[in-house]
Amino acid sequence: MSTLLQLLLRSLETGAIYALATLGIIIVFRTNLMINFAQGVMGMFGTYIVTFMFQKVLFVKSTEAGLAQQPALLLSILVGVIGAIAIGFIVDIVVIRRTKKVAGIGKEIITLGMMMIFLGVTPMVFGVDPMRLPKVIESGEFTIGGANLSYNSLLNILIGIGLTVALFLILQKTKLGLAIRTTASNERTARLMGVPTKWVTLFAWALALVLGTLAGVMIAPSTSVTLNLMDSVQVNAFIACVLGGFQTFYGPVIGAYIIAIASNLLAYYVSSVWGTQILYVMVIIFIVFKPVGLVGKKITKKV
Amino acid sequence: MERKKSFSMNYYLRYLIFGCVMALLPLLTNAGILKTSWIGIIGGTIIYTIAGLGLNLLLGWSGLISLGTAGFMGLGAYISAYVTGDLGLPFEVGILLAVLIPLVFGILIGLASLRMEGLYLGIVTLCVSEVLRKTFDELEPVTGGFSGKQANFPTLLGIFKLNQQSTYIFLVVIMVLLMMLTYNLANGQLGRALNAMRGSQVAAQAMGVSLLKYRLIAFSLATAFASLSGALYVHFIRFVYPSTWTLPVSLVIMALIVIGGLRSVFGTFIGALIVYAMPDLVLKNIPVIGDINGLSYVLSGVLIIIVVLFYPGGVINLFYKLHSVITGGGKKKAALPQTGEEQESMEETHE
Repeated sequence: MSTLLQLLLRSLETGAIYALATLGIIIVFRTNLMINFAQGVMGMFGTYIVTFMFQKVLFVKSTEAGLAQQPALLLSILVGVIGAIAIGFIVDIVVIRRTKKVAGIGKEIITLGMMMIFLGVTPMVFGVDPMRLPKVIESGEFTIGGANLSYNSLLNILIGIGLTVALFLILQKTKLGLAIRTTASNERTARLMGVPTKWVTLFAWALALVLGTLAGVMIAPSTSVTLNLMDSVQVNAFIACVLGGFQTFYGPVIGAYIIAIASNLLAYYVSSVWGTQILYVMVIIFIVFKPVGLVGKKITKKV
Repeated sequence: MERKKSFSMNYYLRYLIFGCVMALLPLLTNAGILKTSWIGIIGGTIIYTIAGLGLNLLLGWSGLISLGTAGFMGLGAYISAYVTGDLGLPFEVGILLAVLIPLVFGILIGLASLRMEGLYLGIVTLCVSEVLRKTFDELEPVTGGFSGKQANFPTLLGIFKLNQQSTYIFLVVIMVLLMMLTYNLANGQLGRALNAMRGSQVAAQAMGVSLLKYRLIAFSLATAFASLSGALYVHFIRFVYPSTWTLPVSLVIMALIVIGGLRSVFGTFIGALIVYAMPDLVLKNIPVIGDINGLSYVLSGVLIIIVVLFYPGGVINLFYKLHSVITGGGKKKAALPQTGEEQESMEETHE
């Protein structure tokens, strides 16, 4: 029983990371009608900003001043988030606004181009050596129902759930949320109705960058900060989008948590080697039987 | 249409001449005019072109998205390396199995594809590709796991042992043959059926085009081309790692056909040249900026964005425009059966 609880808690932490990455993909998809293949790389870049600020600037300063590393780390994350917002603005203004007329798969190819730019810029700015990023809460854990949970994992779980809930409140209750939902449902009509769709896409890209960066900061302590930090997160986020369905905002988040829980359970109870493959095959079979995802709606086409 | 075919209109001749020009490369490197590294790079371009031709049939002509190209290339590579290396069977058997086994997967995906549309299909194929890649990691007895697997240059018919240069010539021959095949398929009954399917599935069905049949054919062809290119990769590069076959490879192959020009055979090669060979051949040789780590990546990323934004028909259309400006005629349009409808069909969205 305690093993199961332990697994579920760990899944919630992984699920939080997947959910943030998934939200980044889905908010860009809904407002711009394009799949952002650069989402993972953008999150990686944001994480690099955080790590670089921490390792090369603030950590040095704070140890000189004899301070603990926590404030420096939090400040680095803040810098990273601001940087992510700035990059989101630049991406939207410089590239995405010009893609309105690009048809078909061209938009996705443009995100591939952006991905290559980020992959090239990162070693130029931050160097080629992998870096390490510590946890926000370094140590300490507590026990519930026989399962151990570190305070840092608890923080990640809460951030994941908290940000998701906050985002849905924004989407449902505020004027900005209304603008986003209108743009998502029909960009052209929304513009005709006076919705400032330019601001909506600007917000969407900045948000995608911030969510990606936070997901990167969450996953970074368990590995090292390299160019392919977010690769597997991104693939899982895409699969979560399909599992949940592209038509809603909440479907993909549900999908993200399902993927996280299922992959941990399969890895523990079935096979640590073949767990992921079994999960992906199950997702494929699910999509074959329910082609629009868990909560998707079928769009009927007219001839 | 019994018009006298002019020299430039004979596509087979064009492909043959193109192949002969490409085959001259080893001579140039032997003479010291070009660096020997060119053979490896252009050979890689040819391998990407072959995978691109298959994906072009799928994405360009039938309008179906696949992000699984990398997985199938890897599968082809590993099967061929295993069959020729561990089992000691001839090269031809290796290639044959490397195409036939992935073909089964291709047919299965084709069947599943009838149930889904657009992006869902793309990500399901990505799923398949990831399953394959993880299997390459784990199935150590066959794939060698993380440390990779080795293969040799091909030995044709058990007699002719090839080296790097003759393998390159072999690649050129295969590419020219596949270009002719693609041209024939695309301009025959299959091409018309696929075009109809891309335009409107319902209308195509009403005209008697069987969706099942043509989706299966499109996916089988794309898979076969991809796995063949993977098998050629392993015998040309002579090494294969599981970490190679990730999403970016599939995306790059997709990018090269969009940049070169959808539904264009030569365009696929030009796209591969721009996306794959340009960073190594040109950008890294520019003084000062070529030495900066990662800059060639940035420049090719910028190039991709610029081409998609400003030349939606692909680079190949630029050549055709230049051609018609030089020869001064709108009548030349008839000579371009593949790209004649480019403009109108680029405007219809697939969403």
